[in-house]
Amino acid sequence: MGKLTIGCFSSLVGSLSLDFAVKLSEAAVKKGHDVDLWVSSNATMLSKKGQKPFKDYSHLAKTLTELFASGKFKAVACEACAEARGYHKDDTMEGWGRRSMDWYLASAFSADRVLLIGGD
Amino acid sequence: MAITKLAFIVRSLPYKTEASRLALTHAIASQTVEIYLEDGDNVEPVLCYIGDGVLNCLKNQQAGKHYGITSLEQHAKNSLLLDLKVMICKEDVDKFGLKEDQLVMDAEDIGGETNAQLVPYSEIQKVMEEVDHLQFF
Amino acid sequence: MKLGVLLSDHKTDSDVLGRLTAEKLGIILVGNGTYLATIKENGKASPILDKTSNLYVLVEDLESRGLSAANVDSRVKPVTYSDVVDLIFNDYEKIIWL
Repeated sequence: MGKLTIGCFSSLVGSLSLDFAVKLSEAAVKKGHDVDLWVSSNATMLSKKGQKPFKDYSHLAKTLTELFASGKFKAVACEACAEARGYHKDDTMEGWGRRSMDWYLASAFSADRVLLIGGD
Repeated sequence: MAITKLAFIVRSLPYKTEASRLALTHAIASQTVEIYLEDGDNVEPVLCYIGDGVLNCLKNQQAGKHYGITSLEQHAKNSLLLDLKVMICKEDVDKFGLKEDQLVMDAEDIGGETNAQLVPYSEIQKVMEEVDHLQFF
Repeated sequence: MKLGVLLSDHKTDSDVLGRLTAEKLGIILVGNGTYLATIKENGKASPILDKTSNLYVLVEDLESRGLSAANVDSRVKPVTYSDVVDLIFNDYEKIIWL
């Protein structure tokens, strides 16, 4: 089994690229791999608590809760990116960490594979 | 003791999306990654500009004046100040009709001693093959 | 190097993809990249499909767009998320997203 580090910048609502990151994480964890998910830029909104499901928008909170429960999944949001968007530590969903960008690089250091999903 | 080589390949134009800015800020974050690692372990970033991405290197960017944000030019200088290896694709610079003196090739004005390298794409391809992980921004 | 490219756009950045070379190159079509596996513009398949013989398309993204695995170009293999994980860990050393 290996470790996959995923970095993602894409918006929570809009592109489905962040959905891809979460679904890929789910598939990797199901196969016994470890996954670190780093979100920065607009993707930090994925870590905000209190997301309500609407049919027109992605709702990934339930999958994330299941991933955290697996013990094989870590997720960390860029603190500066979140604060710049007016979203503070108290608003963070359970399970998530908030760190600076060096955390992502440290995760990449020990990863077998790194996937950076850029763009909006 | 191990070194993991990470390539940050910038292919996006600046400002409309955050992608190229994030490439630079993440690459620069390598300066503090040791706090998470064992003694002797580290990451070694290399920053390459290809395609439209070379336009991030233009001098005289005035995003600070007009939008109050750090320009990509300033981040490019910061990366050189911190001695990151920086490569700019010559074919793409030529394609846009640019000359070397129009690009951020050094950070002497802020005390930097490292220069960017204007290289053929084949040199950047070699970097892609040598590094442990590739990231396109 | 063995390079896997997750291609998520229909209109590709040919400056970037066209120049990529690898000892083994795989292209996994995801998101809007899935159109490249099925839609023929002016009757012609995408030239991306000539770039390598290791071509894959993510079925979930294909079906989400009203496309069907039955209509996929014969050179492209339909795959699931689980298959993509195996490709990432077993077939390619480096993975990029375009």
